[in-house]
Amino acid sequence: MAANNYFGFTHGGTQYGAAAAAAAGAAAYQATPAAGYAAVGHTPAAAATYAAQRATTAYEAAAAYQPAAATSYAATASSAPTYDYSYTRVQTYDNAAKTAAFYPQPTSTSFSAAADPAFQAKSSTTYTAGYQNAAARPAGQASKTYNYPAAGAAQSYTYPNQAAAAATANKNYSGYDAALYNAATLYVQQQAHTAPKGAGTWKASRPGVGAAIGQKPKLKQPPKPQQLHYCDVCKISCAGPQTYREHLEGQKHKKKESAQKQTAGTTPNAPRGGNSLRCELCDVTCTGSDAYAAHIRGAKHQKVVKLHTKLGKPIPSTEPVVVPGKSTTTTAKTGAAATTAVTKTTEVTKVVATPKINFVGGTKLTTTTPTASAAAAGTAVKEEPKEAAAAAAAPAAATAAAPAVARDDTVAVAAAALGEKEVEPVGQEYIEEIKNEEGKVVSFNCKLCECRFNDPNAKEMHMKGRRHRLQYKKKVNPELIVEVKPSLRQRKLQEEKLRRQQMREEMWRRREESAMDDEERIYWEERRRYEEEMEYFEWCRRGAGRGMPPFGPMGPMGPRFGPIPPMLRRPDSADDRHVMAKHSEIYPKDEELNAIQKIVSNSEKALKMVSDDIAEADAPKKDDGTATESKDEDGKELPRTLKGVMRVGVLAKGLLLQGDADVQLVVLCAEKPTRTLLERVANLMPKHLATVTPDEKYALKLSVEQASLIITNQTEPQINVTVTLTSPLMRDGAADEPTASKDPPDVLDKQKCLEALAALRHAKWFQARASGVQSCVIVIRIMRELCQRVPTWTPLNTWALELLVERVVASAGFPLAPGDALRRVLEAIASGLLLPGTPGLIDPCEKEPVDTLSGLTAQEREDITASAQHALRLMAFRQVHKILGMDALPPPKFNRGKFNRKRRRDNSCSGENGDSEGGDGKKDKKEDESEAAKADAK
Amino acid sequence: MMRGGVRGRGGPRMGRGGYKMKTFVPRLPFDIYLCEPAFQRAKPAPDETPLQQALLKRNTDLSPSPTEQTAVLNLVTKIATVLDTLIVTPGSFDACQIEEHRQVGSYKKGTMRTNHNVADVVVILKTLPTREAVEALGNQVTEELRQQEPADVLVMAMLPNDRGFEISNSEATVRVLVTTVHQNLRKLDPELHLDQKILQSHLAAIRHSRWFEENAHHSSIKVLIRLLRDLKNRFEGFEPLSPWMLDLLAHYAVMNNPSRQAMSVHQAYRRCLQLLAAGLFLPGSAGIADPCEGGNIRVHTAMTLEQQDQVCLTAQTLLRALSHGGYKQVIGLEGNASIATDMTVWEGIVVSPLEKAYEKPPERKEGEPGDELADDDDMDMADN
Repeated sequence: MAANNYFGFTHGGTQYGAAAAAAAGAAAYQATPAAGYAAVGHTPAAAATYAAQRATTAYEAAAAYQPAAATSYAATASSAPTYDYSYTRVQTYDNAAKTAAFYPQPTSTSFSAAADPAFQAKSSTTYTAGYQNAAARPAGQASKTYNYPAAGAAQSYTYPNQAAAAATANKNYSGYDAALYNAATLYVQQQAHTAPKGAGTWKASRPGVGAAIGQKPKLKQPPKPQQLHYCDVCKISCAGPQTYREHLEGQKHKKKESAQKQTAGTTPNAPRGGNSLRCELCDVTCTGSDAYAAHIRGAKHQKVVKLHTKLGKPIPSTEPVVVPGKSTTTTAKTGAAATTAVTKTTEVTKVVATPKINFVGGTKLTTTTPTASAAAAGTAVKEEPKEAAAAAAAPAAATAAAPAVARDDTVAVAAAALGEKEVEPVGQEYIEEIKNEEGKVVSFNCKLCECRFNDPNAKEMHMKGRRHRLQYKKKVNPELIVEVKPSLRQRKLQEEKLRRQQMREEMWRRREESAMDDEERIYWEERRRYEEEMEYFEWCRRGAGRGMPPFGPMGPMGPRFGPIPPMLRRPDSADDRHVMAKHSEIYPKDEELNAIQKIVSNSEKALKMVSDDIAEADAPKKDDGTATESKDEDGKELPRTLKGVMRVGVLAKGLLLQGDADVQLVVLCAEKPTRTLLERVANLMPKHLATVTPDEKYALKLSVEQASLIITNQTEPQINVTVTLTSPLMRDGAADEPTASKDPPDVLDKQKCLEALAALRHAKWFQARASGVQSCVIVIRIMRELCQRVPTWTPLNTWALELLVERVVASAGFPLAPGDALRRVLEAIASGLLLPGTPGLIDPCEKEPVDTLSGLTAQEREDITASAQHALRLMAFRQVHKILGMDALPPPKFNRGKFNRKRRRDNSCSGENGDSEGGDGKKDKKEDESEAAKADAK
Repeated sequence: MMRGGVRGRGGPRMGRGGYKMKTFVPRLPFDIYLCEPAFQRAKPAPDETPLQQALLKRNTDLSPSPTEQTAVLNLVTKIATVLDTLIVTPGSFDACQIEEHRQVGSYKKGTMRTNHNVADVVVILKTLPTREAVEALGNQVTEELRQQEPADVLVMAMLPNDRGFEISNSEATVRVLVTTVHQNLRKLDPELHLDQKILQSHLAAIRHSRWFEENAHHSSIKVLIRLLRDLKNRFEGFEPLSPWMLDLLAHYAVMNNPSRQAMSVHQAYRRCLQLLAAGLFLPGSAGIADPCEGGNIRVHTAMTLEQQDQVCLTAQTLLRALSHGGYKQVIGLEGNASIATDMTVWEGIVVSPLEKAYEKPPERKEGEPGDELADDDDMDMADN
């Protein structure tokens, strides 16, 4: 249709050049052409629009001023008598007539209120029809146009039927429509006889209107002597002709007029979705029953009522006219449905005399060519049902509640008309009364909606109002039911959503398809690879001797074996890093370790030789007393006096710290070591030491009271090796007091020997237990250093410390990182492990339960605990460096740059660590970044 | 929840590639009761009867008298009745709608202390809690109470921070804490309604009461809670500990041992101090995961870092004082709170207070610790 339109339209453009010019001139009167037509942008369109709209105006004017005005129009109208205009006009007129048929009084007032919107709608639709016809029809047919008046008259009779037909079409749509239909039919029946009269009247006035179409509308009538100068558009009266003219030329009036015309383009001021109420008298649309009630109460309305009473015009009842929002569209649809039917009938039968629907088409058929008629009839009919419905709606609503209703009930009635429930006002407590100095309530303030109003009525209305209810729902009671009013935007959103959903589905579908494709592709890929591999294997099998193929796949599993990523294990938390840094600081240097290693191994070799010597020397003779025992122990072996040498203490445990110069060896003797034995060993040692390392000079010192001899090297770093003689018999003796008396007189100090034995056991225990616990050795080294450095901790001896750390770290039940292990040790001490009343630390290397910590005084324990407690908190608050006696480390640098992932890891670690992170971490990060930046700059 | 730290730091790292993100699993601090096998007794356990006696005596002193209990019970019952009526027949009262009401806090848990006759009731509103609604509710309840018993002298007052209102008669006080149903929480407008944090804390208080009923009904726990609350009230350093933290700590100290049998009060009491001293509530510690919140929220993170330091420090000093025989002062039978802050001498041993370890980050202000705050604190405020 659109295309047809367009074609016809261009034709029209050439044909009606003159008319267009005229229209252009006339167009100056128009404030704004109807938007829909303006979009077309061609002058003929403008002309046509103009004609159509003017028709309205002219018609109204004619209606208002009656024949006299009409004649004056006729005089001027002759200036532009193009067939186009006349045709359009006639169409318009037809519709006007149709509308007229509905109204009991064919006076101008009947159009003023209810008819207006309907009429305007008609004029616009008529325009479409007329325009089309005009476009489609050759110019020569102009003469036929003059048949229209008759046709129009005929139409005015038939229209009621048509309306009824339209209503019938709608019948099954909704209750509302049904009601409309009933009302309409009733009305039609009642008014059937008046219709001809109305039509007659219109016939009379028609020429005038027709003439008026082509002419400037502002050439106003010579004022007919009338008591009141009433402007129908603005619903006001003017004191005199002068004022009236001024009014007509005034801005306000024009605005109203154009507004009216604009709305005419669409369905009569239908609100956006939902229903609204309309005061016919004042031509005011209210969005709700409350607003309507307010309007009815209002001064303006009263004035108009007064004026109308004065004029003797009929005053429509105060019952509101429902302006249906959506129902119109449904009617339109049904209309459209009807249209097709009509079109068909006209085409097939071309029966003119058929009453009802065909009649409209029929009249047109007489005047138009068969081809055009189909389209014309189609359009005309299509629009008409809508009009009919709209037109029917007005009186229906008006008459439906015919019994006079008191004003007080307006709201209820209006609400009823709108089909809207009477709502309970809510949230009274949120409306503040604002009083003036005299305590009189001057205004109200709604705290929910943040608005003020002065009128108690407004307050009521506000409380029932949608906005307020919505706010109440939002802010007070979410269960309050507020009727949804889908705004245009919401509707659009809804549609958009639907559309998107559809698209998404579409996308999924497609993706699924493509996934299938992918699967297929992958399958074939696999297949190909498999075949290749098989080929390769085949090739290898066959040509095993011929070497590798020059190219091809790297072997069946080739690409899948990446190089195993190096297991980069590094300390994680800041605590760990500090502990490890400290550890590497206190760990002895290589040269120290080498020196110690050298002197110790030399001493051991020398001792071995000494042992051999003594064994040889002692072989024939046997010591009394212990000989049998040693035989028992050693079995068949040659009983040696010096059974073996062992490393003990820090050396054995690997707990050497930087600067440690004292290491211990223990020589186990077959019998209780005596001073004689010690001296004997001491005498033999230098010789053997010289044989072991001829180039090294060692000093030897005998310390009988220590039960040991001390070997010291002459070079830096100076190392002292303490060799202690002891025997397991010493311990047995300790347990068994009487045997002690049999001891040789010069037996070495028992306590020292026992200590040496204990050291031996500790070393064994350590190797068995502590060295297997992760982080344990590191922490012990750290703690040893701490004990050396901090006087408070000094009383804690090495063995107790080792035991404590081992127990605490091992009791965690899982491997700990160095930092965590250190912290756990501090936690243990902080929780009072050393304090009185706690179980103590049992020594696993003693037969009796001995508290390893028994050497500590209560005050020492207290001080160590306090120190540990503080240290623990320092550690928790990221100041571990203070405990360790070092500077805070900047965060690791190597995780910048290359491995971003690692950086993140580190951050997240510390971030979670967290709470402790405080600002330190942040600061460090910054530093780190700046350093990295510097590095980059280099 | 208890052994959350078992998987520990070292554990999950094993066998993983170096690039993997290591999930941070905070560790539980050293707790001698959890690793008793590693620490066999080297010497006989000291006689703890005096401590036990002292604790029981203190508990008796702290428990409310029957009259007090009756007074509170009466008032609570009356208010509950009024609230029930409002739920069933709102009548003309439309300022708000009540979903339900529940008793929470120390009254509900049976950990009330004497001279503190305050019971807490949480009222869940179906409607959104505006200040006006709360006030209207308060007035309505008071009005109805007055109608029932005109002789009673009732005072209705709004609670600070818009928590709700309290109604007190001459003997007891009932705090009605207002909150709203969950689905309303996101509709809140800070301008109009009560603070969301507070509302959430009230909802949490309900969960806490429920949890408590199910898990912590052992009377050792209740006694310990009372003692700990008293401790908290006496020593300034413990101020940051919320009642909920104390509840959880007491439950942890009493119940979390290998045998899962409730420990005696004096052991648990000492253990609480030991745990705190060992840094249970310090950063980096697994602490106690809140059983009433999803996502393993550690309860102590509700405290600022400074507060965590302060709590730990106080506990450490008190633990030493307790170990050196200062139990009467710690429990509160003698002396005053100065033992936590001043140098003291116990049986010839000098116990000196500790210094704070936490340093304010130099350049940035509060930022991070502030984030730590605010999850959950201040719940049930039953006794603060």
